[in-house]
Amino acid sequence: MSADGGIPAALPAAAAPPGDPALDTLDRLAAERATGALHGRGGALYLADGVVVHAESHAVPDVGCRLTVGGRLPAECWEEAVARGGPGHGAGRFLVEHGRLTAGELELCHLSALFDAAYFVLCPLDRTQRGPQRFLREARHWFGPVRPVPVPLLRRETARRARLLERAWPRPEVDTSPVVPVAGRAARETAARGRGAVLAAADGQRTPLQIACTLGRSAFTTLLDVRRLAAAGLVRTPERGAPAAPAPPRPGTAAAPDITLLYRIRDALEAL
Amino acid sequence: MANTEAALKDAMSSIDGALGVALVDYGSGMALGTLGGSPSFDLTVAAAGNTDVVRAKLRTMEMLGIQDSIEDILITLGSQYHLIRLLTGRGGNGLFLYLALDAQRANLAMARHQLKRIEKELEV
Repeated sequence: MSADGGIPAALPAAAAPPGDPALDTLDRLAAERATGALHGRGGALYLADGVVVHAESHAVPDVGCRLTVGGRLPAECWEEAVARGGPGHGAGRFLVEHGRLTAGELELCHLSALFDAAYFVLCPLDRTQRGPQRFLREARHWFGPVRPVPVPLLRRETARRARLLERAWPRPEVDTSPVVPVAGRAARETAARGRGAVLAAADGQRTPLQIACTLGRSAFTTLLDVRRLAAAGLVRTPERGAPAAPAPPRPGTAAAPDITLLYRIRDALEAL
Repeated sequence: MANTEAALKDAMSSIDGALGVALVDYGSGMALGTLGGSPSFDLTVAAAGNTDVVRAKLRTMEMLGIQDSIEDILITLGSQYHLIRLLTGRGGNGLFLYLALDAQRANLAMARHQLKRIEKELEV
């Protein structure tokens, strides 16, 4: 529990898969109080004195995308901040100093983008890919630090998110393929934001992460929405012609049968 | 121009009976900041759980076809009040403030008013 208004110390335990070399590397870098960037194919985590100050993944909307797609900032403002603040590793600070964003807004937007990107760096959707391994010492990101995140907290939150996805719908197929609303069933969803917006953007061409980029919203939240929509039988992958086939959770991921999951599986089977 | 930490400190110090406060992203259920709480009252657990409360209410409104937004949600326990305030600012979409109050010491009307003020100060 945080006593200082900082990021809370998250739920206990939440063990990541033991022996994941990327996580071991991350722990070691934290212990060494290292500064630099830990690169993988999915993206990079930036550390300063052993805490995570930035994360980027080419697959997820970055701070600039989040701010400009939704119309919060004109693209020129963002580009100006990158061009003028970036060389001094302070594009984020530039936005606040020039009155483009409030400190609170920058902090929340950056923190949300950091956890979002870090999830996909540490848990690549392509499961054949390894996590980040190459560490480039002394590398610093042009965005600049905003609110640092301790490595143990990042690990716990990443593991919590993985469990959340697993609980929502234990079939990762919908994560990487284009999704399309199930005719008739999805018509009720009309909200302009949240799930409704995800559904509206699901055109059978875009994958969940492409939907996130189109909407300028969190990739993880979009993925979670898509899994929930799949569980409710509202979206499917176009190739299959049916909602992703339900399956029991992978062995070892659930200690006890989850009755709501069984109900969802039954509902999905009936919807086939 | 408050950041999260300052806003949460303000909530804990200015609202009578405050037991704990959290700023929560209800897309992921993650608490972006917490203050207060106790070993027996884990605010990160409260953040994740109350995310389900907010989501359920938003879904219910969708199903009912109510085109409106939630300002706040009050949950009255025997000894506590739990107040959830959804942020409405440009950068606050998808966030809520969660406040747990001691029912004996709290002034509910004042707490709602203060939470509204703290949201403004957060300027998101």
